[in-house]
Amino acid sequence: MQVTFEIMQRSPRRSPRITLRMQFCLGTLVLFAGVVFTQAAETIPPRPDRYFNDYAGVVSPNTAQRFNEQLAQFERQTSNQIVVAIWRKMPSQSSIEDFTQRTFQAWQLGQRGRNNGVVFFVFIDDHRMRIQPGYGLEGALPDITCNEIIRDAVAPRFRANDFEGGIAAGIDLIFKAIRGEYKGTGKTVRETGTSQNSNSAGLLVFFFFVLIILLAMRASRRFGGYRYTGVGGPFVSGNWGGGGWSSGGGWSSGGGGFSGFSGGGGSSGGGGASGSW
Amino acid sequence: MNKGLFGCLGVGAILLFIVLVGGCAVAASYNRLVPLQQKVDQSWAQVQNVYQRRADLIPNLVNTVQGAANFEKSTLTEVTNARASVGRVQIDPNHAPTDAAKLQEFQAAQGQLSNALSRLLVVSERYPELRATQNFQNLQAQLEGTENRISVERGNFNTAVQDYNVAVRTFPTNLFAGIFGFKPRPFFEAQAGAEKPPAVNFNFGSPAPAPAATAAATP
Repeated sequence: MQVTFEIMQRSPRRSPRITLRMQFCLGTLVLFAGVVFTQAAETIPPRPDRYFNDYAGVVSPNTAQRFNEQLAQFERQTSNQIVVAIWRKMPSQSSIEDFTQRTFQAWQLGQRGRNNGVVFFVFIDDHRMRIQPGYGLEGALPDITCNEIIRDAVAPRFRANDFEGGIAAGIDLIFKAIRGEYKGTGKTVRETGTSQNSNSAGLLVFFFFVLIILLAMRASRRFGGYRYTGVGGPFVSGNWGGGGWSSGGGWSSGGGGFSGFSGGGGSSGGGGASGSW
Repeated sequence: MNKGLFGCLGVGAILLFIVLVGGCAVAASYNRLVPLQQKVDQSWAQVQNVYQRRADLIPNLVNTVQGAANFEKSTLTEVTNARASVGRVQIDPNHAPTDAAKLQEFQAAQGQLSNALSRLLVVSERYPELRATQNFQNLQAQLEGTENRISVERGNFNTAVQDYNVAVRTFPTNLFAGIFGFKPRPFFEAQAGAEKPPAVNFNFGSPAPAPAATAAATP
């Protein structure tokens, strides 16, 4: 990410105003670079396409498909978004709580305003799991309930190497706990195509700034100051081109496909419980 | 003659343009600062919320643990005392503290309670019949969830403060942010007790530095 300034001295004396402008431009760019870096610092798995994601291969494809459709149907009925993900090992050096929280925020589970998402993460080799609700389901799925589901229903089955049974029981009990909380619209976020795209506002601001900078360039060039090159390429594409996920709508439920998942824009405050087996 | 008039007009137009752009920039920055500050206050309210949640759990925890046969009384009184001292630090729950010392005091009190609670949980390992009770297991789950919520909300608060502070301190906003009363806000330190640097004394013949200066230093 390199920005090069070519200072061309057209006149022997440079006015101080021009250097001030340059500082302003530099400052703006540094500010943007900061934003880019803070966004890129986290290593979080990308938002999945499905509700049920078995990256560890402990559930048969047919059962996985069934779970996925159950979870999609649950969102249609209640608008609650539950995502299950099973990994071999936790893809992070951090604690399970921290990883789950950051992933939850990145995947934006639950509807915006309702914050009614739940994640159920399992790490097979670590023998750890976690159930974490969003803000809006902390009442229906309190820490005690999460703990009981893990301790009494899921962990004993996992201990007997019955992963399908444990996950089925976990999903079922989460359903039971949160079913009455919200009413659904009959469609998932993916199906209504209202997936939250938080980039658009930022994009507008960004283009506004680019416009201002370009105008400033043009204005200052009139004074015979400096020429500015290299605003394009890596800087622009590195930031805004990278955010490729967005309202897909590509997967429909018919025709032997699977029901796709899109985050609704909810967030979580770190409730829930972790457990091991 | 005519040329001079046009020149004057041109300079005037440029000046007007600069004033207009400057005014717009000030207004835009101000409008950007207001929601950032509100975000800080909002996340502070959440921080207070989760700390209160923990404080509310403690009487129940103390009662449950007291029921266990000959449970160590010292750890219990430690928790009760720490909770009492937390209650004595009064901070407006709706407005984030502007005073770094006040926030540090709050953090120190809460950190003391955290330490007392974790010691209580460690001690409870020695009482298997207590740990087997449903009540204790539920309380432990709630405590763990609450501690996690605390760390999440503290993180959110720090992020909000960071965004706000960056906005306040960045050029050109820093030129007038102070005039409108937007001052940088303090945020949570990493660990209670970690803000004090360890006392390392390299005595190479020079007089030892005053310890008070290092203790007061905050980023």
